[in-house]
Amino acid sequence: MLDVWVAGAAMTRVGKRTERLQDLMAEAAHGALRAAGVEAPDAIVVAAMNPEEFLGDGNFASNAASHLGFAQAPALRVETATSSGAAAFYAGFGLVAAGLRRAVLVVGGEKMTHLDTPRVSELISRSIDPYERSYGATMPALAGLVTRALMANGVGARELAQVAVKNHANGLQNPQAHFRHAVTLDEVLESRMVADPLRLLHCCPISDGAAAVVLTARRAAVRVAGIGQGSDTLALRHRAALTSFKATQAAAREAFAMAGFGPERVDVAEIHDAFTPFELISLEDTGLVPPGKAGRATLDGETTLHGRLPVNPSGGLKARGHPLAATGLAQIVECVWQVTGRAEGRQTQARVALAHSIGGLATNNWVTLLTAA
Amino acid sequence: MIERIDASRCPACRTIVAPPASYCPHHPVAMEPVSLPGAGEIVSFTTLHSPPTGFKAPLHIALVELEGGARFVCHGAETRGLRIGSPVAIEAVGRVYYFSYLGVVDRARLFWRRAGHAGDRVNAIARSLAKRVWKG
Ligand SMILES: [Zn+2]
Repeated sequence: MLDVWVAGAAMTRVGKRTERLQDLMAEAAHGALRAAGVEAPDAIVVAAMNPEEFLGDGNFASNAASHLGFAQAPALRVETATSSGAAAFYAGFGLVAAGLRRAVLVVGGEKMTHLDTPRVSELISRSIDPYERSYGATMPALAGLVTRALMANGVGARELAQVAVKNHANGLQNPQAHFRHAVTLDEVLESRMVADPLRLLHCCPISDGAAAVVLTARRAAVRVAGIGQGSDTLALRHRAALTSFKATQAAAREAFAMAGFGPERVDVAEIHDAFTPFELISLEDTGLVPPGKAGRATLDGETTLHGRLPVNPSGGLKARGHPLAATGLAQIVECVWQVTGRAEGRQTQARVALAHSIGGLATNNWVTLLTAA
Repeated sequence: MIERIDASRCPACRTIVAPPASYCPHHPVAMEPVSLPGAGEIVSFTTLHSPPTGFKAPLHIALVELEGGARFVCHGAETRGLRIGSPVAIEAVGRVYYFSYLGVVDRARLFWRRAGHAGDRVNAIARSLAKRVWKG
C-alpha cells in the first residue's frame, strides 16, 4: 500500500446559500486543487447524500465533474448517508494507496435550505429503518431515545448543554461556520423540547455547503495515517446498547491499527456532534476519553480550544453546520488546517488529528487519522 | 388479555427480532417464526413535539424489551410516570402497536399467567411419569 497525502484542502462558507450545489462544489474543488498545485485530477470522487430528492438531479458524479470543468476525468459517487463525505475520502484514499491514480479530487456537498424543515427532516429520515420510520421515528426521535438512556447512565443536563456552549464558542472564531454567535448554558437548558429529553440547542442546523481535498501519491504536508470504517444494524431496536456506537468503536480500532499508534497520540479531534450527546458518546467510542468520563471532561474544559484535547475547533456540526455529504470532508479540511497551522483564530498545537463521522443513526461510521509530515 | 407479537429467531445465534425478518441481522441465515407475549420493559422513550406528516403532536415513541429479549418500537398514549425499566403491556389498535403502563393488578395477572405456565409444565411431567408407570 502506497502512502497517501492530502496535498490541498478547501471548503465553502457553510450556511444558507443561494448558489446551486454544483457551484458550491466548484468553489471547494477549485480551491483544493489550487492549494495542492494540481491543475487537473486523475479521478474525481463525489459525495452527495440525496441530490435526487433535494434537487431533482441524478447521475451526480458526471453532473458535478462536467460542471467543474473535468468532463473527461473518471468520476464516481459514494454514499453512506450522513457520513458520505468520509466515505468518499476513503474511496479516494483507496485509489491512490492501490496505485490506480496519482491525484484524486474528493468533493462533497449538499444543498438543503431551499426546502422547508419538515421536508428536509423527512428526506434525512429516509436513512432510518423503514419499520421504525412507520412509527414516526425521525433522526431527532432516535437521538432522543439514545439521550434518555445516556442520562439514565448518569450523564447530566449540564454536560449535554456544555457541548453546545463550547462548540458555539469555537464557531465564533471560524469564518466558514454557519452559526457565529455564542450560546449560554441557560439558553441551551431552556431551549424548546424537540424529542424529550433532546432540546433544540442540542441539535445541529440544516445547512448548505461543500468541501474538497486533493489526495496524492506525491509527498505533501499532511499524511493519511489511518482510516477505518465500522457498521451496525440499520434498526436501532436490533442493538443491545444505546449509549455507545459499535460502528464507531470498529472504525476507531481499524484506523488506529493502520496508523500504528493509539488515541493518546491525538492532539485535536473533529467529532460528529449532530446532537450534543453524540459528541460525548463518540469521545468514549474512539478511545479519546475513558468510558463514562466524557461529560466530566467537557465540564472541566478539557475539550475547549485551550484544553488537553481540543474537540471540534471548527464549531462542529453544531455550529459550523451540517451540509450532510460535505460534513465528513469539512471535518478533514479542519484537521488539515489544524496540523498545518492554517486555522487562524482557532489554531491549536496539533500534529495528529482525528476526524469522526456518523452515517445514519450510527450505521456506517468512519474514523480518519491525519498527521503533519 | 395479552397480545401475541409475531417475531423471528435466528437458528444460529438465537437472536429474536420483532417484527419478523427474513434473515438474521448478524448471520446470512433464514429466521424461524416465533411469537412473543406482548409484555416487557421500557428501554427508552421520547416525545416528538413536531412529528412527521401523518402523525399528531405530541407523539410518544418507546423502545420496549419484550419477554424473550427482542426490542420493539411502539407508540403510547402518554408518558406520565413512565421510567426506563417500567413494565408495560403491548396492545394493537388497528395495525399499530401501543404500550400501556402496567398497574399492580395487571402485573399480578401476568405473574399468575407465568405461574400458570409453570403449572402446565408440572402437569406435563406428571403425565409423562404416569405414562411410563402404565407402560412399565
Ligand atoms: Zn444470528
